[in-house]
Amino acid sequence: MRSSAARGARPLARKTGGRKREEHREAQVKAEDVVPRGTCTSMCPISETRQREAQNRLHRFEMLAGTERERLPRADTTRVVKEYSRPAAGKDATRASDLRPPDVLLKTVYYLVDEIAACPTLKPWTEVYSFVFDRLRSVRQDMVIQRISGPECVSVLERTVRFLLYGSYRLCGQPLRLYDPHINNTHLQECISWLLECYSKGQHKHQNEFQALNLLYNLGSPHAIQHTLELPHGVQHSAPVQLALAVSSAYMERNPVRLLRLAQRLDFLQACALHRHLHSCRKDLLLLYSHGHSSRNCRFPIQKLADLLTLECSVAAQLCQTHGIQLNGDYVVFCKSSFSENPSKQLECAVMHKLENDKQEDFSIGNIIHGIA
Amino acid sequence: MAHITINQYLQQVLEAIDTRDGVFCAELLSFKHPHVANPRLQLSSPEDKCQQVLEPPYDEMVAAHLRCTYAVSNHDFVEAYKYQTVVVQSFLKAFQAHKEENWALPVMFAVTLDLRIFANNAEQQLQKKGKGKVGDMLEKAAEQLMSCFRVCASDNRAGIDDSKKWGMLFLINQLFKIYFKINKLHLCKPLIRAIDSSNLKDDYSMAQRVTYKYYVGRKAMFDSNFKLAEEYLSFSFQHSHRSCQRNKRLILIYLLPVKMLLGHMPTNQLLRKYDLMQFADVTKAVSEGNLLLLNEALGKHETFFIRCGIFLILEKLKIITYRNLFKKVYLLLKTHQLPLDAFLVAMKMMQVEEVDIDEVQCILANLIYMGHIKGYISHQHQKLVVSKQNPFPPLSSLS
Repeated sequence: MRSSAARGARPLARKTGGRKREEHREAQVKAEDVVPRGTCTSMCPISETRQREAQNRLHRFEMLAGTERERLPRADTTRVVKEYSRPAAGKDATRASDLRPPDVLLKTVYYLVDEIAACPTLKPWTEVYSFVFDRLRSVRQDMVIQRISGPECVSVLERTVRFLLYGSYRLCGQPLRLYDPHINNTHLQECISWLLECYSKGQHKHQNEFQALNLLYNLGSPHAIQHTLELPHGVQHSAPVQLALAVSSAYMERNPVRLLRLAQRLDFLQACALHRHLHSCRKDLLLLYSHGHSSRNCRFPIQKLADLLTLECSVAAQLCQTHGIQLNGDYVVFCKSSFSENPSKQLECAVMHKLENDKQEDFSIGNIIHGIA
Repeated sequence: MAHITINQYLQQVLEAIDTRDGVFCAELLSFKHPHVANPRLQLSSPEDKCQQVLEPPYDEMVAAHLRCTYAVSNHDFVEAYKYQTVVVQSFLKAFQAHKEENWALPVMFAVTLDLRIFANNAEQQLQKKGKGKVGDMLEKAAEQLMSCFRVCASDNRAGIDDSKKWGMLFLINQLFKIYFKINKLHLCKPLIRAIDSSNLKDDYSMAQRVTYKYYVGRKAMFDSNFKLAEEYLSFSFQHSHRSCQRNKRLILIYLLPVKMLLGHMPTNQLLRKYDLMQFADVTKAVSEGNLLLLNEALGKHETFFIRCGIFLILEKLKIITYRNLFKKVYLLLKTHQLPLDAFLVAMKMMQVEEVDIDEVQCILANLIYMGHIKGYISHQHQKLVVSKQNPFPPLSSLS
């Protein structure tokens, strides 16, 4: 209390204010103590492993080899991974022995990437995706409960974002019961948001890469563009971000020719991020050209159009047909009144994956997700 | 005011309530008033004193207000915000009980304004410590304001002079400020609908209407509805009070890009008057079709334009600039069959990097699609064939 007087605080405040501040500080310290700190050293807490084994709720990737066909398959403790569980009343999610500390979480993610997602013998990949998706969600859950931030958190999120982006491209076109692009998108946006928040609070090696991925994935979003324009100079002027801004600019200016041309310069993961927008870009090109070239004598070479669309000739022809654009041998006849858009007759996106396919080359999935590609 | 005792203060509040003096009561609860700096009012437990003098829920409201003044004197805006929410909640209890009277509207204005301001300050304080998610506190403040709004909007019984509906526009303006800040513009829609269907909409004070039209104009800009944006922002600008130079300048920052997109360029005189010379080069570039100058001007003042949130709109001026540039090519060549190469040369002269004939074709196709050029491209002859009549319609004739 003496120190308050020395600071020249008001007489009335000294008696009550000082004490109040002490109490306040004590309360703050107590609140910090309540944040759980995990002590589980394996990828899955023992209690959960025992429980799921006993209830026959192990995933086949977690079973001890040779016991899969038994009535009660046994758990391979080196391969069981904590699953995501919905928070519920009465369920205590904060038991230290059930929570994995940051280094274990990172090791878990490495396992999921190297031994599951990148494993060439595990099939079908839709099942691999579902498993990894769920287990990564559980990793994030542990991070939230323990309020983990810092380098391990960033490493986990970066790999998760790369995985989800890769998944969005690889499983594009799969039946809804096996892969839901909306759910993938929701989680992707959450992770990207979280990651960008981490970046705003400290320096991280891969920030440029992910700022670019954010802008490409959210092409056309004024929020994403404004965010990117407000980035610190060094980040904004890095090569990946500048390329992403150029793609974004072409989109905003409505120049799909330029956009598709710039897309050739993207790396594989960037192409995955942009991929869901390409269909509408190509449609836009056909719409603009239908109006711009509309004349009775129009003869636009199909090969030229295919080059502009970055598609194979046959696919370009199919795309034209779905939009009511007439083909005449090797030529396209643009006419503004015949352009049409019928959602039920749309070409499947996966048919148009040439751009992305070409970029994947020999990169292994592991390298793509760890960011060494 | 800065030296009265707690008893004197509470007596004044009581009297204001008893005599239904909304204006004076508002002052006694507003942070614009000097009483908030009075240390004699900053008790550690004001509840007892308040309960002695005031009826519930006024006792709760004033006690929370006094706790708030203490928090503010300590620069603890997180605490201040916490207590201000109690002020607003208790006020709302009292307000709802006022049947067919609206004398307390000035109080509502004062306490909701302070709520929003404290939410802003609290968030800033948390951000500095690295805690708190941006927009959280403001969103919660918005929810409180919506509760007040619902009480006002549902007042169907009282006669027009006593109606709480007169509070709606003020609250809407506060909500707009929050929604713009947290970037949730879609939440403005139901509020706009409420005002559009209200029969009081033209009778609110001019100040409130000017603010309202400013935000609705900005939202229209965001929705690319430029004709509507021009209408609203122009109203706002014209009816702003002459002395509010700062406000007029703020409105102009958004009105200028909209007018330029519709083909109306501002005079240098106007720009100088409102200290907005950043737009001078942009204006010159667009009207001359000078892409080089446009890119330079946008680059030079990038920080300013980005901060104001108009950088993206100004980029839309590129299309207008292309149109003006290509019109020059047409006027120069004096023919209706223009070689595509001529446009490519024009763009290269403007030092546009990496552009080729395919991209030029796309730009032309876009201009034709938007109605800026009447004609068609012949790929086989590599020519743009334009209409013999009015091939470059005036910008103001298009939306």
